Amino acid sequence: MTLQALLQVLASGLLMGLIYALIAVGLSLIFGLMDVVNFAHGEFLMTAMYAAFGLWLLTTLDPILLAPLVTAFLFAFGALAYMGVVRHAMRVDANVGMVQIFATFGLAILIQGVAQYFFTPDYRSITGTWLGGRTVEFAGIFLPLPQIVGGLVSVAAFGGLYLLMSRTDFGKALEATREDQGAVALVGIDRNRVFTLGWGLGAALVGLAGAVMATFYYIHPQVGGPFALIAYVTVALGGFGSVFGALAAGLIVGLVEALTAMIFPPALKSIGVYSLYLAVVFIRPSGLFGRL
Amino acid sequence: MFNRRQVLLGGAAAVSLASTGAATRAFAQTKEITIGVIYPMSGASAQVGVDARHALETALELVNNAHDLDLPAAKAAGLAGLGGAKIRLVFADHQADPQKGRAEAERLITQEKVSAIVGAFHSSVSATVSATTERYGVPYIAADSSSPSLHRRNMRFFFRPAAHDEMFSAAMFDFLDAQKKAGQKIDTVGLFFEDTIFGTDSSNVQRKLATERGYKVVSDIKYRANTPSLTSEVQQIKSANPDVLLPSSYTTDAILLVKTMGELGYKPRNILAQAAGFSEKAVFDVVGDRLGGLISRASFSVDMAAKRKSVGVVNDLFKARAGKDLNDNTSRQLMALLILADAIDRAKSAEGPAIRDALAATDIPGERTIMPWARVKFGEDGQNPHADPVLIQYVGGKFVTVFPSAVAVAPPQWPMNAS
Repeated sequence: MTLQALLQVLASGLLMGLIYALIAVGLSLIFGLMDVVNFAHGEFLMTAMYAAFGLWLLTTLDPILLAPLVTAFLFAFGALAYMGVVRHAMRVDANVGMVQIFATFGLAILIQGVAQYFFTPDYRSITGTWLGGRTVEFAGIFLPLPQIVGGLVSVAAFGGLYLLMSRTDFGKALEATREDQGAVALVGIDRNRVFTLGWGLGAALVGLAGAVMATFYYIHPQVGGPFALIAYVTVALGGFGSVFGALAAGLIVGLVEALTAMIFPPALKSIGVYSLYLAVVFIRPSGLFGRL
Repeated sequence: MFNRRQVLLGGAAAVSLASTGAATRAFAQTKEITIGVIYPMSGASAQVGVDARHALETALELVNNAHDLDLPAAKAAGLAGLGGAKIRLVFADHQADPQKGRAEAERLITQEKVSAIVGAFHSSVSATVSATTERYGVPYIAADSSSPSLHRRNMRFFFRPAAHDEMFSAAMFDFLDAQKKAGQKIDTVGLFFEDTIFGTDSSNVQRKLATERGYKVVSDIKYRANTPSLTSEVQQIKSANPDVLLPSSYTTDAILLVKTMGELGYKPRNILAQAAGFSEKAVFDVVGDRLGGLISRASFSVDMAAKRKSVGVVNDLFKARAGKDLNDNTSRQLMALLILADAIDRAKSAEGPAIRDALAATDIPGERTIMPWARVKFGEDGQNPHADPVLIQYVGGKFVTVFPSAVAVAPPQWPMNAS
């Protein structure tokens, strides 16, 4: 293995890691806020990709320009998912955790079925975009432009999220609700409203990831599955609820995955990620940055 | 709550429905043969199932209605041997999961009382489904599962009219030998295959053939099917840069492979594909611009219509349903049902063992199929050894037959990026 090949794999892993982080952070946010694991997270990603594809067909604008629209659409989608499904699932008297899991899992199957019915199981792809197929070459290392832009968008999104969480009232309400749901009700913060907005924000972040991914990945009703699986590992690794844990863990997962595929037979490439995850679970069960 | 009138009305309706139902069943016993069909109708390979449905329904139309075509079971309306009985298909979804396939096969046999089963695309599913049909004594036609291990399990009820991957791979290496003889430099090959039974079996054969015929395997990459990223894998192929890349991939991975090769600035010298994803229209819709000159093994090529009238007619019938030409997979599915219908016709029975014996006695000359095969005549193991494969090349947005020279329409472009 040459140094150049190693650098190539590291750089690709890093870029993929930034995307993994952006996909995972919405999941982490929702969990941190209200202890609900959204099992439809992969389907949110798929919905965002189809939204980007549909808007691209309608407007013929470049998908990068459409990203804000897709993000807004997913915000509404996430808020609706909370109001229509999760809110009711949280009201049950017994086995709340189980009911939430089954409710979001059912939602996942529903979204997948609806997508396959309306969009057919055919593979779609956005073509002829500004970024699509372009590659930057630097000393023999090839970096695809869509992934570079995707990485930059991801970094910017994390920056924006940091500002939102630390500088705005909404951010403080989110933080307060996640610290003590009972106490915020006493000071007049509407818990339901914060949850709705939290789901919207979480979905908007995965929506942004979907809009970026639609520029370089194929679109298909089942596309979310493998990414959702990685997102769960990323969130668990970074610590449930930790925004920057998700960023760090996303990068680690991207790098470890790429390196494992380089060193071991590629069929075993998830072993690296899952071994790391197991090690974290044994040594630090709350995840790298978790506060549980 | 229902009032009494509604209950009475409902009861009357139920009785009349039940009586017509009984009448249909009595009619069905003499006039209808039920065949089970197992394909991935949902999940990552759902498009294969959708296309298979179109192919099998086209075949059904040929069998159940009279057509002036020299194909098995197509001439008369219905099955003449059973007094013009029609065939009915019952579709089941296996979601690419061998266990779901086994369960669905069991349901089709015990609940739907099917006379035979056709399936299943994924070789891993054909393996479990055929084990179940064997146990119940119901014939199973592996239309398009190409793993060579499938017919080597001493099964009496397993039949495969099409070639398996050893035959396909042998044709691929015959082609390489021919190119080499013609003065091309082909010394190294790269294997790239997915980690289920299809990819592993295919690569085992290719590895063996490469060694036997003096090609050096410079990269041998088994990857996880449906992986989110193939960067490291493609980087390894790029470093090895084989003279010929031999991928065995389903649709999703084929798309990702080609996209990633483009992103990493890697232009393979030649691609010689074990079909599967590389015969799917979806792949060429999405990344076809990067695949000019790709060669794939195939059981079918639509340009055969120039030599055989039935190919064009059947392709048009299929296209009217599916909106695309027949391909490697759909042609095999369609042909499988015609071969099965022909056997049921001769068996004059809906019983599994009788149909099995008729299948074993099948002898259809190649001209009476839509395939480039010499004939359909099953061996003791249920494999048709006369199903000669072809190689097709993607040139100018469509496939042309390039090998063997007896059926070739154009000479191959080699190396693939020459034009």
